[in-house]
Amino acid sequence: MKTRLMALVAALTVCLSACHSGSSAAKKYFVAFSQCNNAEPYRAAQNQLMDKLFKDKGDVQLVIADAQQDNSKQIAQIETFIRQKPDLLIVAPNERAPLTDVMGRAMAAGIPVICLERDITQDNYTTFIGADNLSIGKMAGQFIVDSLTRKNGKPRGKIVEMRGLLGVEAEMERYNGAHDVLKAYPEIKVVHEAVADWLQDNARARMLEVLRAQPEVDVVYGHNDPMAVGAYLAARELGREKQIQFIGVDGLGGPAGGIKKVMDGVLVSTFYYPLCVDKAVEVGEQILHDPSFHPDKKYILQPKLITAENANEMYGKLTF
Amino acid sequence: MTQPSSATSELKADAKQSVIGEVSRRQIRKRLQSLFGLALVLIIALIASPHSPRGGLIFLEAGNITDVLRQVSEIGIISLGMTFVILTGGIDLSVGTVLALASSIVALVLTRVAFGVASGVAITAAIAISLAAATFVGFTNGWIIARLRIQPFIVTLATMIGVRGLARWLTSNTNIDIGFGADLASIFSRVFSTKTMVIGSYVLLSVVLAAVLAKTIFGRYVRAVGDNEKAARYAGLPISKTKITVYTMTGLLAGCAGVLHAAQNHQGNPNSGVAYELEAIAAVVIGGTSLAGGSGSIWGTVVGTLIIGVLTNILRLNNVDSNVEMMIKAGIILGAVWIQRAGKEAS
Repeated sequence: MKTRLMALVAALTVCLSACHSGSSAAKKYFVAFSQCNNAEPYRAAQNQLMDKLFKDKGDVQLVIADAQQDNSKQIAQIETFIRQKPDLLIVAPNERAPLTDVMGRAMAAGIPVICLERDITQDNYTTFIGADNLSIGKMAGQFIVDSLTRKNGKPRGKIVEMRGLLGVEAEMERYNGAHDVLKAYPEIKVVHEAVADWLQDNARARMLEVLRAQPEVDVVYGHNDPMAVGAYLAARELGREKQIQFIGVDGLGGPAGGIKKVMDGVLVSTFYYPLCVDKAVEVGEQILHDPSFHPDKKYILQPKLITAENANEMYGKLTF
Repeated sequence: MTQPSSATSELKADAKQSVIGEVSRRQIRKRLQSLFGLALVLIIALIASPHSPRGGLIFLEAGNITDVLRQVSEIGIISLGMTFVILTGGIDLSVGTVLALASSIVALVLTRVAFGVASGVAITAAIAISLAAATFVGFTNGWIIARLRIQPFIVTLATMIGVRGLARWLTSNTNIDIGFGADLASIFSRVFSTKTMVIGSYVLLSVVLAAVLAKTIFGRYVRAVGDNEKAARYAGLPISKTKITVYTMTGLLAGCAGVLHAAQNHQGNPNSGVAYELEAIAAVVIGGTSLAGGSGSIWGTVVGTLIIGVLTNILRLNNVDSNVEMMIKAGIILGAVWIQRAGKEAS
């Protein structure tokens, strides 16, 4: 028993000392970023960009904590950050209500807080930096109207929608925004709304079912790029991908992102949903360096349409 | 074939129990052993804790210690019930979804039902309804396992899936948000999310259930059923009743955790509690309870919960990557069980 214990103690000590030395780089400022879920590609892109931008500045030690889509875990991580008293705390809240209180406590502890992308129920932050899903929905709706008009001579056609996780705000706004536009055109019909929970494999399975039931589909509107790609895969399996236009949302860079899918001709368009990180780093640096600086309470960034025309340019900008 | 051998083992057990001194000494040793693990983790925490700007150790700050206790409370309460279940040789996979169900129901009732009575009464009623639902799920588990004789793994796997569906159906798969105003739900959230309430509930339930397991006849039945069900049956112990009670209790405890979960997160969320059953099982196993049933204690489970909690805290205070955190936890689970086995082999 004693030998086993000794072995374990030795292993733990090695582990911890290794961890310890890893984080002891002496930088001027300590910035803590509480990310709600690294597993989402959008979030991973946020992390990469933030890491790169702060590294470029050179005076910041950035620590990113991943809450793995769990409110309780994110609250616990922020509580730990509050103990560590960072010079700046950036939070991408997993959900509104659960994170509101703990962000208030960070503010009360005198830590400047940037709330990223998802708003909370009270303004417990120094500044909020976000983007507008409703206008993405509207842009998507208008794009569908225009391309159907080009294809069929007038605004007429059949749409299939691939919806994200129901009850999530981004999903509702991307849905409502598009329908606000589409409802003015009675000849455009949404023939099927499939719920695929943001996931490519789910979307592929749902789309196979949809295509069996719908002999005619003009446009697939995926509430994110992976779902639009999943629907494309299903159509290709049945040899129908040429007759359908696939539209996605998110427009991430990199080989797995939606922009590459536009360049490859899989999607006709995607809508860049801003990562918000570049603005956060810009405002964050000002907060760190200038104590008298007061940022706006809110910065709302605008989405951007990406088609074959500007895909190459955007790919270069958004691939890190 | 098996009957004579079980009879002899019973005889041996009798002989052992007659030497009371030896038994209690072994018990004390066992307790010290699990405490030793906690002490080890605490020492590591003291060595590895970063210093606050004022010079003290961040780990030892009162705020940090109570943070840790509050953070482990939900899993802690669930793992109390899980200890009883595992002692009977069973398993309960449904606790995470029962937590989600209870948190959804309490939020639904508080935000959607107009009571027209004093807020204290209304909040009590809402909690009672949600706990009743959780208890009923637990009872159903126990009844099917004991009466229909289906394996606990399968029964609770089924309820895990079914209850998740029920919680989503009740809430239309949306989160029921609780605000920060003066309405019923907000008052509930304010009261039940305080550290005193959360940690207090955990401590109280631990003490009560430790006493139930160690001092009551029911506690002895629980061990007997898990140790050797056949022998317990021949001895005329109420096996079915014991099992039903244990699963019912576990449902109730998962419900309690769910109520605290709703208050702390300001919402009833039908999708929360994912993998909580595994975290609870981990705490029980680190605490020295055997998955084969029969041996283990509430005391050990509390220590197991604290080991995980302190370790998580110290890793986060050192900004260890969360993926590395998971790998280290895996090592801890295996290491803890390995050491305990060494202890058993020696005795």
